[in-house]
Amino acid sequence: MGTTASHLPKDLLSEYQELTFLTKQEILLAHKRFTELLTKDEKDHQNTRVPMDRILTLPELKSNPFRKRICHVFSTSEHKDGSLTFEDFLDLLSAFSDSATLEIKSHYAFRIFDFDDDGTLDGGDLEKLVNCLTGETDDTRLTPEEMRQLISNILEESDIDKDGTVNLSEFQHVISRSPDFVSSFKIVL
Amino acid sequence: MALRRAAWQAQQMQVPVVSSRESWKRNKAKTLHKLKDEIRGFIYIFALWRKTLQKIGGNFGGGVQSFFLFLRFLVVLNFVSFLLIAGLVLTPSIVFRSVATGIVNSSVPEQCMEYDPNPQDLVMFYNYFLDLLSGTGFMEYSYMFYGYYNNTMVVNENFSYNISLAYLFTAVFYFIFCLICIIARMGTAARVAVATGGSAVGNYSMIVFTSWDYGCLGDRATKLKQKNIHYRLQVDLEEERIKKRAAALTLRQKILLYSLRVGMALIAFGLIIAAFYCIFLATVFSQANSNQEGILGLIFQYLPSMVITAGNFVVPLLCDQIALIEQYSPSTTVIIALLRAVFLRLVSLGVLLFTLWSQITCNGNTSSTECTPCQYNHKEYPCWETRIGQEMYKLTLFDFLINIAVLVLVEIPRRIVVDNWSCKLAQWVGRQEFVVSSNVLGLVYGQTVVWTGALFCPLLPLINTVKFVILFYCKKITLFYNCRPALKTFRSTTSAFFFLVVLMFGWGLATVVMVYALAVIHPSMGCGPFRFFLNMWEIVPTSFYNLSATTQEFLFFIGSQAFSIPLCVLFCVLMCYFVAFASVYGNSVSLLRAQLKLEGRDKQFLVKQFEEVRRRLQIPGDIADD
Repeated sequence: MGTTASHLPKDLLSEYQELTFLTKQEILLAHKRFTELLTKDEKDHQNTRVPMDRILTLPELKSNPFRKRICHVFSTSEHKDGSLTFEDFLDLLSAFSDSATLEIKSHYAFRIFDFDDDGTLDGGDLEKLVNCLTGETDDTRLTPEEMRQLISNILEESDIDKDGTVNLSEFQHVISRSPDFVSSFKIVL
Repeated sequence: MALRRAAWQAQQMQVPVVSSRESWKRNKAKTLHKLKDEIRGFIYIFALWRKTLQKIGGNFGGGVQSFFLFLRFLVVLNFVSFLLIAGLVLTPSIVFRSVATGIVNSSVPEQCMEYDPNPQDLVMFYNYFLDLLSGTGFMEYSYMFYGYYNNTMVVNENFSYNISLAYLFTAVFYFIFCLICIIARMGTAARVAVATGGSAVGNYSMIVFTSWDYGCLGDRATKLKQKNIHYRLQVDLEEERIKKRAAALTLRQKILLYSLRVGMALIAFGLIIAAFYCIFLATVFSQANSNQEGILGLIFQYLPSMVITAGNFVVPLLCDQIALIEQYSPSTTVIIALLRAVFLRLVSLGVLLFTLWSQITCNGNTSSTECTPCQYNHKEYPCWETRIGQEMYKLTLFDFLINIAVLVLVEIPRRIVVDNWSCKLAQWVGRQEFVVSSNVLGLVYGQTVVWTGALFCPLLPLINTVKFVILFYCKKITLFYNCRPALKTFRSTTSAFFFLVVLMFGWGLATVVMVYALAVIHPSMGCGPFRFFLNMWEIVPTSFYNLSATTQEFLFFIGSQAFSIPLCVLFCVLMCYFVAFASVYGNSVSLLRAQLKLEGRDKQFLVKQFEEVRRRLQIPGDIADD
């Protein structure tokens, strides 16, 4: 099962509609944008895997500071290189779509922020996260002292079981109090 | 996706458990949700100045952005109010002016009805300019002011329109409408503050986990957003550091600080009282010498405005210096500066109005010689409502001109001097910082003046809309070209709420004026739609008795105790219900948090047990290997 040339068969389309939160138009648009990334001979193969640097040329992802983490999270590749098939790409768009639920979004947000993939957000993850948010250049980073103060404040607020890390349920507890999370965690092609 | 596919295929083989009614409900909910999102997207397109506000927020922080959001809210409020007034009062007046004539009551003394706003002598060209600035001459007898409207009443077979009644009801409804808008916006601001944990110092986890907008496209937007987040984090961390420092003071230092604060508060209070006295003297002098001609007369007319503006300029400057000694945190400093200055501004306006009142009603003594025939001073003020409208118009215009003048004559030269002249004095003065509190106060003052004058000058909301729009662009220009980014900024959530609280004070003052003018003072007999009534409100009972008998009885019933007391009781019951709901939700939130904690501990316990069991199993294994 996969995509053939530039046309999506109808049964596959309805199957994707059932399995993701995307509408028919969104799936067709995603298919169009994905096939634009393929080279000529890749288009004939089924289930081609597009390397990460080509995915990152998409304008929606190009300037996102979390772009590499997003690719890694949604990639099903064995080499853990962040390459995406079309179905991975649909999973990505589904999680970032309008109709995805808060639980799905917070689950994926947690995995994106977990830079070392150990299942919890510890101090190192939080530091990398804050650097992504403020910008990587030297004059936009927080000073080391401010960073220390910020991380200890975050852990004090959200680490309820006091194990020094933020796990998924604690993360979801913080997210649930924000009124804007669902509308800001959105990527629309 | 493969896992999900397998699960879905397995699910397809099962008999659907969900009834058709459930699925219909779910589909309905989905379409409703989509509809809401679409409406929100539609309104988002029409939001005024959205890109500009985003740019301001990114470069100067949330505090400055909240000022511009407040300005945009006032522009929309004024424009909608103008549409209201235009539709209900202005257009019928224009349409019916030629159709119907006013009713004349001849039982009124002759001298009260003398009102000649168009002087017949030769008018110099520059007089037109003076008239434009002070609302006299050609502007006085026009749709601009109260005096031009007549008490026309159009009655056809199936259509009747009473302009006087419409005028009164529009004015009252305008106030209620503004109040509802302000309270609705306060509710939104309060909800955001509560939902985000609302405390004075930031909710860091919320900012770090939820503030990134994944829809940001392009390098510039991303950099702007990153700067914004950087700012917010720095502001909150700085405030926390200040709080820690304040908490770490010794007892002796604390006593010193508090006594210093009390002393400074007394000094600020004394300054404000001195400013009031100056305004009072200026207003009395201006009213005494208001008959001078030419430029000198214009200066005397504008004297109260000039003294008010000077006071509003000097006193907050001194209060700022006082605030430096008091050492509050940045957010608290802004709020205290706001409260002090609003007190100054609004009560100075009140002093002006009080002086006008004492002149019009002969100090409240309607049986003195000047006020006897008409119950107001008909020699000085043949049409006193137009006169008050003119005062408010002058205040609005003067405020606007001063803003423009300060921009052109002070701020731009300051930047040119600082940038091109590298002497020490210029560097010490430095580029200007955008001070949010004094700018917000300017807006609140302008809006209060418009509210006070709307009853007497119906076109004032329109003038104010234009003024605020021009002001938006001027302030934006000054922000981007003349100001440097603030070294310290303050949180915008609580301050947005406070701007609205301060606006409510202004609304309260204007309401007092309106109620007093409606209910107590005798309307002018020479002009206006309420000529022959004892007070403006009297038209309502008079028209009331023209309604049909059933309507009268219905309205009497609604106003009586038999209806209003059960209504109050019902509202109390509803409020108790909501309070109970809120406390139940609060309880369940804390219960769930405790449960989360316990589960974490359970998890740790189980992990420890698991390690122990593994160790115990491994040791016999190791021995066996040996």
